[in-house]
Amino acid sequence: MLTYIGRRALLAVFTVWAISVLSFVIIQLPPGDYVTSYIAQMASMGSVVSDEEAQNLRIQYGLGQPIYVQYWKWMKQLAQGNFGMSMEWRRPVTEVIGERLWLTVVVSVAALLLTWVLALPIGIYSATRQYSPGDYLATFVGFIGLAVPNFLLALVLLYLGFTLFNANIGGLFSPELQDAPWSWAKVWDLLKHLPIPALILGLAGTAQQIRIMRANLLDELRKPYVVTARAKGLSWFRVVLKYPVRVALNPFASTVGYTLPYIVSGSIIVSLVLGLPTVGPLLLKALIAQDMFLAGTIVLMLGVMTVIGTLASDILLVLIDPRIRLEDT
Amino acid sequence: MGKLWQKPQAGAVRSRLMVTLLAAALVGAAAAGALAQVVSKSNLVGKLEGPEVVTDPAKVPKKLSEAPQLAAQVKAGKLPPVAERIGQDPLVIKPLHDIGKYGGTLRGGFTGPADFWNGFRCCSGPDHLMFWDYTGDKPLPNLARGLEMQDGGRTWLLQLRRGMKWSDGKPFTADDFVFWYEDIYKNKDLVPTPSATMAINGKQGEIQKVDTYTVRYKFPDPYFMFPDVLAGSTDLAGQMYGYRAMGGFAPAHYLKQFHPKYVGQAELDKKAKDAKFDSWVRLFLAKNDWALNPELPVVSAWKTVTPINTPTWTLERNPYSVFVDTAGNQLPYIDKVVLTLAENLEVLNLRAVAGEYDFQQRHLDLGKLPVFLENQQKGRYKVYLDPADYGGDMIIKFNLSYEADPEIAKWMNTADFRRALSLGIDRDQINETFWLGTGTPGSVVPADSNKYNPGPQYRKLWATYDVKKANEMLDKIGLSKKDAEGYRLRSDGKGRLRIEIQTLGGQFVQYTQISEMIREQWKKIGIDLVVQEVERSLAIKRSAANETQLGAWNNDGSEHLFTFPLHVFPFVVDDVVSSGPLYARWFNSAGAQGKEPDPRMKELMEKWKKAFGVPEKERIALGKEVWKIAAEEVYVIGVVGLGPAANGVRIVKTNMGNIPARQYNSPDGKTPGISRPATFYFK
Repeated sequence: MLTYIGRRALLAVFTVWAISVLSFVIIQLPPGDYVTSYIAQMASMGSVVSDEEAQNLRIQYGLGQPIYVQYWKWMKQLAQGNFGMSMEWRRPVTEVIGERLWLTVVVSVAALLLTWVLALPIGIYSATRQYSPGDYLATFVGFIGLAVPNFLLALVLLYLGFTLFNANIGGLFSPELQDAPWSWAKVWDLLKHLPIPALILGLAGTAQQIRIMRANLLDELRKPYVVTARAKGLSWFRVVLKYPVRVALNPFASTVGYTLPYIVSGSIIVSLVLGLPTVGPLLLKALIAQDMFLAGTIVLMLGVMTVIGTLASDILLVLIDPRIRLEDT
Repeated sequence: MGKLWQKPQAGAVRSRLMVTLLAAALVGAAAAGALAQVVSKSNLVGKLEGPEVVTDPAKVPKKLSEAPQLAAQVKAGKLPPVAERIGQDPLVIKPLHDIGKYGGTLRGGFTGPADFWNGFRCCSGPDHLMFWDYTGDKPLPNLARGLEMQDGGRTWLLQLRRGMKWSDGKPFTADDFVFWYEDIYKNKDLVPTPSATMAINGKQGEIQKVDTYTVRYKFPDPYFMFPDVLAGSTDLAGQMYGYRAMGGFAPAHYLKQFHPKYVGQAELDKKAKDAKFDSWVRLFLAKNDWALNPELPVVSAWKTVTPINTPTWTLERNPYSVFVDTAGNQLPYIDKVVLTLAENLEVLNLRAVAGEYDFQQRHLDLGKLPVFLENQQKGRYKVYLDPADYGGDMIIKFNLSYEADPEIAKWMNTADFRRALSLGIDRDQINETFWLGTGTPGSVVPADSNKYNPGPQYRKLWATYDVKKANEMLDKIGLSKKDAEGYRLRSDGKGRLRIEIQTLGGQFVQYTQISEMIREQWKKIGIDLVVQEVERSLAIKRSAANETQLGAWNNDGSEHLFTFPLHVFPFVVDDVVSSGPLYARWFNSAGAQGKEPDPRMKELMEKWKKAFGVPEKERIALGKEVWKIAAEEVYVIGVVGLGPAANGVRIVKTNMGNIPARQYNSPDGKTPGISRPATFYFK
């Protein structure tokens, strides 16, 4: 068991290093650099960056140096716990991300909870009442949830919210509370804004999880041990919840690996459409502006989260499912 | 009106962010309403008007007063009395309509830390030493009390306002100019490459202190353009440019703590490291950034209190503001400006429709005009259009120094080829489709009212729709052979003459879609146009590397020919769309690098350069000459211009006062800065 975890952890460290190289290279791949995108941005807003200014900026940011020198500088900074300065925001990267990170977590966790709260019972219901009208209804709604792109749903809800309810457009706070210090009023305001993004973000996931839960459970329900347990006189409800559901949960544990990075990034497109102040749009903007350190840090963070998530799901699986534990030792 | 909604041929139009879907949905829904309300220039474009600067010393108000909360602070002993804060020489502005009322918060939107121009334009005052009158024509004293020419234009004496203060109450004096010049501008780390604005004929000038309130600028040659340079959006124009070590002055008493000359290198390096900057230069520039550093002493009407890199960029009145109205009330009237971050332009536009902004002009999309109009009552705002004075909301630049394909290079350097292409554009169709008829079809020359406009006949010169003449011209220059589909063949026998136009998506003007329409129109003159939308960094890289053929953009700023020349002739190498990067390099290096342009272009460049050193009358004549050559040679095709596409759609709450019916719309005028938002108020 310990060697198993140890080996996984070692592999994880190596993977993180590879991710750091890859993320740095990928960010350097597009043509141009921060200065060219800065010039373009200024140009579209009706102002000019003179050749002198462009040259000065390149010198100040050290953009002329070869890529491995820049990577080495970045690594040295990282080793000291300094993630660098965002070129566009002109603030330490940690601050820029930090400010949005926990809001992202709030939105994502809300979406995730919603997914599970809806998906698990419906999935169980669908499997145990296979081919009942309820199952058909759940399947129907589930496929719609899977098929409709959630950004489109976001657009529709935004439009309806605006025309029918005169709701604020986008964001997680009302304008007057945006800047206010934290208070119960502000928390309440956040809670009021939360359902729509959570619903939209959660819907596609819910549909998917319902299908997974249903399929897994159906497999289990037909197994002899279930029949035996029933024959021994255990109530239907207890049998199902105690054994087959537990086994059917395995896939949930193994998706933790992808859930973790999702929680910190949120969905990029939906966040953009809804104007949510989360990490997703920040990443997109950083990539567009070629803000190396900011984009690099976010990509690295997502990579690390995936690695940690995978490691966690490996361990979780071992804990949930004795078969995996036995196979390995 | 059916034409209004006609879409251009889909062709290679690539879909951009899905977000546009929303716009489409909204526009569709509003279409019916919009068709009823006639979108026409006449009922949306008002009379050009604006506040005036009072320069007559006799009209300076004797008694000064201030906002109630400042008066309370004075009473509590936290601030000196208003007369002491403003000094002996207030900057008097006659509000457009009436003396306003104090109070209120102005709400607007911005798009992120790169949108600093948003605040510069609305809230800086502007803090230029000189600034334009509301027609954008004449530079008048602004923060400076006066500017006196001596020695035939070689020396300029700038008089400061006596007793004027920085926002922290420290005096604003000639020392702040000398500090900027000696310790910032001449510091090689802060300014590795000197600014062209401090030079005449390539020779750098100097700044000296005469006495506390007088500054002397000395240049080796006559520099008659100097007042315009101080008034325009240039490196010498004011504290806004501090983020790039420019501005012409800086608060010495504050910034010295971040300068190696005054604190020692070791200590400064530690300061930079503690703040997580990788060099003292970045630290210094961040500290000297008006939008970023709330501690920075400023001389603008409002000052930043929560910086631009947060979700709300908030500005508050500067208690030491030197601006006053004709009744002696210290400006601004409005207490606070709150700009909220919009993650994308669609959200910003939708918030404007929902009436969440009091005054918004920046980032509003002309294509959504019908939606804006439809929601006027509901959102309690009024829509104004501010058509600009530059000739092209859309222009097409020929890359004249193109080399990759000699055949295409040859044609692009043939005047009649360029003229024929220009004649092959049906500008009225484009104007109706994309400008909803609010633009003016024509050449690149600025508005007739502009002092450098060469004459009304140049608007239509080579800018009418004449397929027959275009075909004749193309036939005559040697492009008479056509293939089976009717496209003209190259003269070197390598098939069809195919030209590429580079466009950018996500801009105020839909360059790609308009180019697709032009592609269809040019079929009639046998020209095969390939429309290529590229990502913006790639666009700059390709332009700078001399790889592009045609490029679509606008010529905003060109109404101020001498401070914004880059869309008139090749001036900048790193540009989104360049009309000849090698020529630009040639021009900027005084012939040492790059490639020498043809004689006509050289003549244009010479005239432009010469204008800086001659008196105004001669300069105006030279400016007209420059535009004449530009229009005759068609180095750049003007498509539709004098329109409201860029920053020209304005939404203002109906309860605001001193709002001009139409304002001068120009980057140089820092619009709406030219309408002095400090005089706006809530009724």
